[in-house]
Amino acid sequence: MDFRLGEKELALKEEIRKFAKAELPPDLVRNTVIDGEFRDFDFEISMSRKLARRGWLVMSWPEKYGGRDASLLEQTIYEMEIAYWGIPGAWMGISGIQWVGPCLMMFGTEEQRGKYLPLIASGEKDGVWCTGYSEPNAGSDFANIRTRAVRDGDDYIINGQKVWTSAAHRARWCWLAVRTAPNATKKHQGISIFIVDMKSPGVTVNPILNYYGRHHFNEVFFDNVRVPASNLVGEENRGWYYLMQSLAFERRSIAPTTYGSLKRILEELAKYAGQTEYEGQPLSKNPVVRAKLADLAINLEALKMFAFQLAWRISQGQIPIYESSRNKIMGDDLMKQGAITGAEILGIYSQVDPDSEWAKLNGAIQGAYLGFPGQAIAAGTAEIEKSIIGQFRLGLPKSY
Amino acid sequence: MNFSFTEEQDMLRISARDFLAKECPKAKVREMARDERGYDPQMWRSMAELGWMGLIFPEEYGGTNASFMDLVILMEEMGRNIVPGPFFSTIALCALPLLEYGSSGQKTKFLPQIVQGEGIWTFALVESSGKYEASGIKLGAVLKGTNHVLQGYKLFVTDAHVADHIVVAGRTGEGKRPEDGITLFIVDVRASNVKIEEIPTIGGDRQFKVSFDSVVVPGDDILGKIGDGWAIVDLVLQRAAVLKCAEMSGACQAVLDMTGSYAKERIQFDRPIGSFQAIQHKLADMLIDVEAVQYLLYQAAWGISIGSPSPWQISAAKAKANEAYQRICIEAIAAHGAIGYTMDHDVGLYYRRVKAAQFAAGDTDLHREVVVTELGL
Repeated sequence: MDFRLGEKELALKEEIRKFAKAELPPDLVRNTVIDGEFRDFDFEISMSRKLARRGWLVMSWPEKYGGRDASLLEQTIYEMEIAYWGIPGAWMGISGIQWVGPCLMMFGTEEQRGKYLPLIASGEKDGVWCTGYSEPNAGSDFANIRTRAVRDGDDYIINGQKVWTSAAHRARWCWLAVRTAPNATKKHQGISIFIVDMKSPGVTVNPILNYYGRHHFNEVFFDNVRVPASNLVGEENRGWYYLMQSLAFERRSIAPTTYGSLKRILEELAKYAGQTEYEGQPLSKNPVVRAKLADLAINLEALKMFAFQLAWRISQGQIPIYESSRNKIMGDDLMKQGAITGAEILGIYSQVDPDSEWAKLNGAIQGAYLGFPGQAIAAGTAEIEKSIIGQFRLGLPKSY
Repeated sequence: MNFSFTEEQDMLRISARDFLAKECPKAKVREMARDERGYDPQMWRSMAELGWMGLIFPEEYGGTNASFMDLVILMEEMGRNIVPGPFFSTIALCALPLLEYGSSGQKTKFLPQIVQGEGIWTFALVESSGKYEASGIKLGAVLKGTNHVLQGYKLFVTDAHVADHIVVAGRTGEGKRPEDGITLFIVDVRASNVKIEEIPTIGGDRQFKVSFDSVVVPGDDILGKIGDGWAIVDLVLQRAAVLKCAEMSGACQAVLDMTGSYAKERIQFDRPIGSFQAIQHKLADMLIDVEAVQYLLYQAAWGISIGSPSPWQISAAKAKANEAYQRICIEAIAAHGAIGYTMDHDVGLYYRRVKAAQFAAGDTDLHREVVVTELGL
């Protein structure tokens, strides 16, 4: 065993720190949890471009697609630091970098790779993606999707509805899961993936505001949307296999990003507790506060090890079956723990609107507090993740 | 970065597991909990012959010079099987500091005995405060000629009844800080009139009150320097915290394994209870706890192995193990139902040992304080 970071990784950390200091308001803890990153889209994209110019945006991709073949360990460090400093624009609509790109590399045609990967790597608006998975009757029961794609000459015609589609209002492309074989023996055997241009006639995006009034996700309607057959990803009816891979990619990055943003929150809370008087002494002397911050720090350290362990497993050419689910659960639990601990430390100020001048720590705690229940549902609920661990790691019978 | 063990380390784990499966079944654990000595001398000798006592000691003392990580692997397996006896007291609490701080005379005299399985040692630290803190050290040590005379008592001293030597933390002076003026004495139990009274515990392990009434310690029998003992105690507790954590990690894994097997076999409502989400999700939570303990443990142990220990990462591991071991046992008993609450079932053996493990080498509060201090508080 060896848990050392190499000089490359340490240098990268330092470069990102300098970048953050230069590009973002100095020493400001950023509130990124609650509305993802889509509120100030132009600013986000301006940062995406800068990240692309630094060679960071898609660092772990091969050079021919705009990356620089960075190791998954470097990528993990990068994600931790991006989240720590609250640098927006790192994901090209969440989907683009995290799973559309990697899945196209695994399952796409050379033509698809040549067209879409450089767009994502550019950091421009035309490289922003959304992902159409959930539907009104297909949440955790994902294989129950009903959006249909029917072959028509050189095209497919798509009809149906998606929901909770993050960033659909910002995306140029949709990574869309549809049903192509309605009569397949098993539901998950009749699913395919398509690349859909969000500017196609028949695509309608309606906002769904979250309970805090922020516009993060949408419902998306497809009304006789015509898509060229060359936009089918991989083989027809093999989509379920690609979906599972995409979800594993998505869940992988939750541990590094949660670790980064919570590490920052923890440090800010520790500073705040040292500077805030309560009953005649600094809050940091309060044993309850000390115990809670210690517990947060301890669990964060475990999350860090989980993040590195998963990256290491993948870099060994292994396919992690349960580790992504483990990391997702741990990350979500910690975001909750951080939000609640933070709110307790802020006391009465924890109720202040995060955008208000009254907000402490730039509203980061309220952002986490309002944001964590949503984050915990996205990409698979804790219940789904625990069932994956039960079946694939512990060998227990299917529970649903 | 590398998360895998070496082939030799995998072999060590397998051979330890095989040996303990044969020599230390749960019947032996139960028998030893009732046994006056609390351990099986024959098994102790076999362990020494396998090289376990000497695992990380240099060859000049009869050891095999393996790494600290190797010892962690061995102790995970010992924890998995709840190996009864004074291995932790002797090796983790005493032999390691002897190697690091002992005089060459002390090392040449004592380490080969320990490595051969012929020396049993323990460490006497905690007093009436019940805490691993310097301010709690009140046991007096007064210089008379070239000897020291010890007066006072120690509590919760493990395996004192079978130890031939006890390392005792006494106060030889007062300084600005409570840490100043503490000295470690090596007391030869057979040559001195220490009084040993058992403190019966819920764990089936052996802990004692050890009283020193004008016990004379010859001038040479001091570990380290006079008045500088707490620095050694600090380091002892760090190493011991990691090794206790290793035992707890092995125990956690064993409890998870037995609960997983039970969930597959036990039929209710015509199906295995492991198919119910209430049980399955409990097991998933247990697995996450187990792996959190393991990776925090390996990180802390690796730091020590490469000669660059991180006190706060050590404390993070022990604090997490303290919390996780308890939770895993409680959840495991719940998943087993009534059978888990019986004397005949193994899960109770682990649960009853939670408390001793939590307090060994520092309780959760102590380790949280180390972590929070690292945050600058």
